[in-house]
Formats: sequence, structure tokens, C-alpha cells
Amino acid sequence: MKLIKTLAYLLIILFIMPLAGCNKSEDPVPEPDTGKITFKFYHYCDGAPLDFDIRKYVNEAGNQYMVNEIQYFISDVTLHRPDASSYMIMAWKDIHYVDTDIPSTHEWKVLDEIGTGDFERITFTFGISEEKNQSLMFVDHPESLMFWPQYLGGGYHYMKLNGKWLDTNQFERPYDFHLGIGQIYDSQSGEITGFIQNYFEIEVPASGFTINKDQETVINLVMKVEKWFNNPHTYDHNDWGGDIMQKQEAMKLACENGHDVFGVLSVPPSLRYGGRSEF
Amino acid sequence: MDFGILKPKLKYYPLIFSLLLAGCTKKDDPVPVPGYQPTPYVIEAPFGFPQKMNIPEDNPMTVEGIELGRLLFYDGRMSGRTHPDSLMSCATCHLQQNAFECGIDHPVYENGFTHGLTGIPTPHLMLPMINLVWNMNGYLWNGKISNDNPNSSFRNIEDLVWMGVVAPHEMNGDTNRTKALIASIPGYPEMFKKAFGSEEVTMKRIGMAVAQFVRTLISSNAKFDRYMRGEEQLTSSELSGFVLFTTEEGADCFHCHGGFGNPLFTTNLFYNNGKDTVFPGTDDRYALTGDPMDLGAYKPTTLRNIELTGPYMHDGRFATLEEVIDFYSHGLLWSPYINPLMHHIANGGTQLIPSEKADLIAFIKTLRDEEFLSKPEFGPPAKLP
Repeated sequence: MKLIKTLAYLLIILFIMPLAGCNKSEDPVPEPDTGKITFKFYHYCDGAPLDFDIRKYVNEAGNQYMVNEIQYFISDVTLHRPDASSYMIMAWKDIHYVDTDIPSTHEWKVLDEIGTGDFERITFTFGISEEKNQSLMFVDHPESLMFWPQYLGGGYHYMKLNGKWLDTNQFERPYDFHLGIGQIYDSQSGEITGFIQNYFEIEVPASGFTINKDQETVINLVMKVEKWFNNPHTYDHNDWGGDIMQKQEAMKLACENGHDVFGVLSVPPSLRYGGRSEF
Repeated sequence: MDFGILKPKLKYYPLIFSLLLAGCTKKDDPVPVPGYQPTPYVIEAPFGFPQKMNIPEDNPMTVEGIELGRLLFYDGRMSGRTHPDSLMSCATCHLQQNAFECGIDHPVYENGFTHGLTGIPTPHLMLPMINLVWNMNGYLWNGKISNDNPNSSFRNIEDLVWMGVVAPHEMNGDTNRTKALIASIPGYPEMFKKAFGSEEVTMKRIGMAVAQFVRTLISSNAKFDRYMRGEEQLTSSELSGFVLFTTEEGADCFHCHGGFGNPLFTTNLFYNNGKDTVFPGTDDRYALTGDPMDLGAYKPTTLRNIELTGPYMHDGRFATLEEVIDFYSHGLLWSPYINPLMHHIANGGTQLIPSEKADLIAFIKTLRDEEFLSKPEFGPPAKLP
């Protein structure tokens, strides 16, 4: 009889213990409210959507030029809150490739769940940081076609902006405005003695936004192509010629001009009546 | 607004679905027998190669399919004829020892220019069959055979098979005769059953099997591959050539032809590389897209085994690699359509000096892959059915 009582007590204790465990004060913390963010990419020149393949633009140096295609990476996109905290997008991928010839790259639906609330600005790396820019990390097209030769520093082009300009002889010449790792050459032997990381951070002006619970916030990023060629430096294709991958000085100017190349379009082109934008 | 009148009633959905299915299962369009599972064949991407492959969902790689495809690839009765003078197969022109290209030393086709069974010259130059499983941007010189083609008969390697059978400048046959002949040969129906689950021989299945075999034709063990993997060193001349290959101030080949980072040695995209000033626009990329910037634009062929695949360019205008290098050094022609990557046009070319040309060619020859050129699995079968 005593044995039966003991077993009964044990059973009661075993039954109650798990229940007690469920009621303790360490209840699971409720999931924070989150929403999604999507980036759309637009390409403008002189305040209007870029017209490709037409030599209709004039840069600050007076070069008449056209753009045929633009391909580039942005990475380490970081969303900054007013309280100085920030969130870097990287749950699924932290590098995004944009190719003006491939529409599917013009939209990046970020998979990260972003905590709700206000954000006051967006920053990102134009190109890829030294730590991440490793050869063969992209083996599939189209990203793999951006590889930067190992001899010149390896990794990947930050950008290929290809077009043509009218040179001083009135000859329409191709320019390959390619940015990536720069080289230091020995003045005597011409041998490469070192490399220079040219990636840089961009702070997108007026890029505040709000993430609402279970909603998608769309940020319309726009590259203003003419900005690559001015402020603070006047970039003249006649000075640098058609190729700059081995001209660190030219890439340095370009990257320093890059600080204000990106902005946010409040009204994307398809919703406007036409005419000039806010730029 | 009420769109009800435009909506098919729910009860009709099964009928619509059945009609769609009926449309997909015409007599000459069988899918592999449902439930039948041949032995899967997995292509492992070699070091540095893409992971994404162009393998249609409805034609997965199988051991049995590849085996059948290899036999058909080498069987002259694919022409639909049996007379010895009328035999023609894929391998009649696509020779393994020439990287599955005709090559300039073909015993029949003088200087690498092919013609069909009836003597009609082939209007285009051949392209080699190398690493085609990784081409995501369209086959042939202008990319006509592409998954983006609105015509579903022109989308992948499978379609190139029936095209070869019927083309007047190739086999000049018809698909009914070919499939009937193949079906009549003892041994083949059994192999179709192993590959697809039933003995039925159709042109679609023939194309599927040959395409599976062609997708196995992988070149990844040239000297340069071994250099990439750290297994072998290049000579001083080859290294100098590699530097020229991958620098803008050198020969700048890599933007279109790849290198360490794109071991396919082609982007499979399309470029006007400055060969001409006038363009008919009939067989180039423009013929497909209608975009003037595509006038005179063709695919840069892979440089793997390139020393064996002359003559060169889409029309075979250059017989030797030396002529090609001379063209890029001194012979570029300006037109409004020249690709912007051809920045050396300002000087008429890359202006390589003779020693640099020699180094560049030395490097390009490191892309010769002897294993690919002699691998028994790629070669003629010991016996046909």
C-alpha cells in the first residue's frame, strides 16, 4: 500500500513539474515586430532616366559622351536609426549586383526581417570591402564576369561603366570606366609593388524611411551618372583615355567623385508624367 | 468593375487543364514514361567553374540517356539513310581531336569550311562543343538558340539536333525518316527504353539523348586549369602572355574571353569586335534583337583548345591564331557599333610587338586540354547497334 502511495506521489510530481516549468517567469520573449525592405535601382543622367547608346550628354569637362551599360556591386548596406544604432543587411546576402542590361538585378528584395521603426539614413559600400573581395567567390554568371584579374589585385570589379566619348580629334572613342583594386607600380621596373583598395562608403542623402510591421518598404535608389565626372574633381576622358584599370590616379578621382552619385527617388519614373526630375 | 464575364467558370478548369495536357502529349512529343527512373548522372563543377548549369528540367542527365546519346552522336544513320555515301552524324563534322569542331585539317572539309550531305555549303562557321552545359546566354554565333526564344523549338541543345537533321546544308534529311530508321535498328529501341522508359523512338527523344551526351563534354584539365589549381607552373613566356591577356594596357582579352575568375574562357555574350565597317545584319545579334548596337555582334568563342578550331571569327576569315593576334594588334576597324570594350580602337589595335604576340599565343596554348581531346568516354563507341 505504501508503495502504491509513493508511486502515486511520484506520478503527481512528474505531472506537475512540467506544468510548473511552463508557468515560470521566463516566458518566451515575444518576437519583435518586423517588416521587409526592397531596393529598386534606377539610372539617371542630368536629371532624367538614362538614355543608353546615344551620345547626348556633356560632362563638366565638356566631353560629349554616351553610356552603353553599367554593372556594379554594392555591399554592406546599413540602415541607421536615429538613436545611432544600425542594422546591416546580411541575413541572406550582403553583396548585390546591378546590371543595366539585366532587369532582374534592378530589384533586390531583401530577405532580412527588419525591426519596425524609423531609420534616418542608409549607407553602403560601393564595390566590395577588402575582407570580402575574394577571387572565385562568384562562380556563376553574371557576377563572375566582373572578376578583376589577379595580376591587378584580384577579386571583382566594383563597377564597369562602358560608353563612348568624342575626343579632341572629334573621334568617337570607347571608354571603360572600370573601378576596382588599384596598383602601385615601381617607377623603374614597372613592376607592381602593392595594391590599393578603392572601395568606399556612400551615405545616401535624404534616405530616411520607416519600417512598418509586416509591410514592405521600397527604397528607390538612383545612380546619377553625371556625378561620376564632377565634384570634387572634373573628370576629363581626354586626360585618362579609354581604360583606367591600371591608372590608380584616375580611379582615385572617380572614387572621390562617387560620394554623391546615389540618391533616393521619391517618385519613380513610371509614376511621373515625364519631364525633368527633382535633380 | 465586374470581370466575371472574362473569368472561365471554375467547373471548366479541369477541361481546360486536360486540353493543355493534350496539347503537350502529341505523338512525337513524349516525356519520359511517368514513374520510370533511369540512373541519375551528376555533373560536378570543376574548380572555379559555375554551379548553374543549362539543363532543362524535362531532360535531366542520366547514365542511360548519355550512353544512348553518345551512340546517336556517332551514328551516320542519323541522316536517315543507310548508303555509305549518305551517312552523316554529328561526329562527321564535330571531331573530338579538334575539340568537337571541324578544324582546319579535316579530311573532307577543306580549310574548315563544311558543307551538307548534298554539297550545299554551310552558311556559318562551326563552333566547338566545349563546356556547353554552362552556357546560359544562348547557343550559336548570335545566341538564337536560347531559353528566351519565344519559339519553343529553338531553345536548347536538344533543338540543335533536329535542326541538324533537316538543314539542307547539314544532313538534308527529315525527322520522320531518321526516327523510323533508328527505330528499325535492333538494339536502339531497348536503349530508348532504358533511357526513357519505353521503346518508342521519337525525334524529341533523339534530341534529348544527344543533348545529354553533349553536356558531358567538359574541358577542365588544360595546363592553365592545373595552374589555377596550383598543380603546375606556367613558363615565363606563358606567364607574360597571361599578363597581357588580363590587362587593359596589354591585349585586354579577358573582358570578353574570361580567365582566372571565368574559366569558360568566354562570356557567351555578344560583341562587335571591329572586324568590319558595313554590316548586313542578317546573321548577327542584331538579326535577333533589332538593336543597332548589336550590328556586327557575335559570340566570342571559347579559347579552350582554340589552336585546334580554326579558321577563326564567325566567317572563318583568319586561318591561324597569328592572323587573329595581328588583327587585334593592328587591324581594328571603327564603326559606330563597335563594342565599348574595344578601347584600343583609338590606336587601331593593341599594338603588340612580336615578342608579346609570341607570349600571348604561348599562353593561349596552355588552354589545350589533351584529356578532353582523347578521353575515351567522349570518343566513338566501339560498336554501334
